[in-house]
Amino acid sequence: MVKESLLVTPFGWGVLVLMLTSLLLTYRIIRGPTLADRIVGLNTITTKVVVIIAILAVISEEYALIDLSIVLLMVNAVGGLILAKYMEVER
Amino acid sequence: MIEYLFLLLGEAIMVFGALGILRFPDVYTRLHAATKCDTGGAMNILIALAIYADTSTLIKLKFLVLAFLIAMINPMVSHAIARGAYKYGIKPEVVVDMYAWDNP
Repeated sequence: MVKESLLVTPFGWGVLVLMLTSLLLTYRIIRGPTLADRIVGLNTITTKVVVIIAILAVISEEYALIDLSIVLLMVNAVGGLILAKYMEVER
Repeated sequence: MIEYLFLLLGEAIMVFGALGILRFPDVYTRLHAATKCDTGGAMNILIALAIYADTSTLIKLKFLVLAFLIAMINPMVSHAIARGAYKYGIKPEVVVDMYAWDNP
């Protein structure tokens, strides 16, 4: 049960700003000239999603979501390293 | 009141980082803007959340652990992406490339 609406505290407006920023960054994923540009956009969007989940855990007072954000950050790190090694092997 | 200052600082840093990713002309300059702005903005917002959250100290410690992990992981992945992009064959659009002197 969410006790208060999303756009009451300033942190709710912060969630809205981060979502609009992620929509701006989608342009770099769709129309990047090379593969490395797309990987940069994906890592940035995933870090923003980690921060959005951590804010929503505080607003809805359900603190189990912080562990989910930690796990998402580690999965992002492993995926980025795997894509970087793929770029290094493929000439 | 101090947590709203940290929140505003983090949001501004993240928005300017996204504008830098959209407008810079090369892969390496985009990576520079993305890494620094994203790490700093995420750490500022997480410090603001650790001050703002109305709960016990053990749960507030999780936000600081998350900020520490972001500060450790994000530059590591950025360095790996830059090294892989140079090995992939993307040359930087500069006047003189000093990295190519040591690595022919």
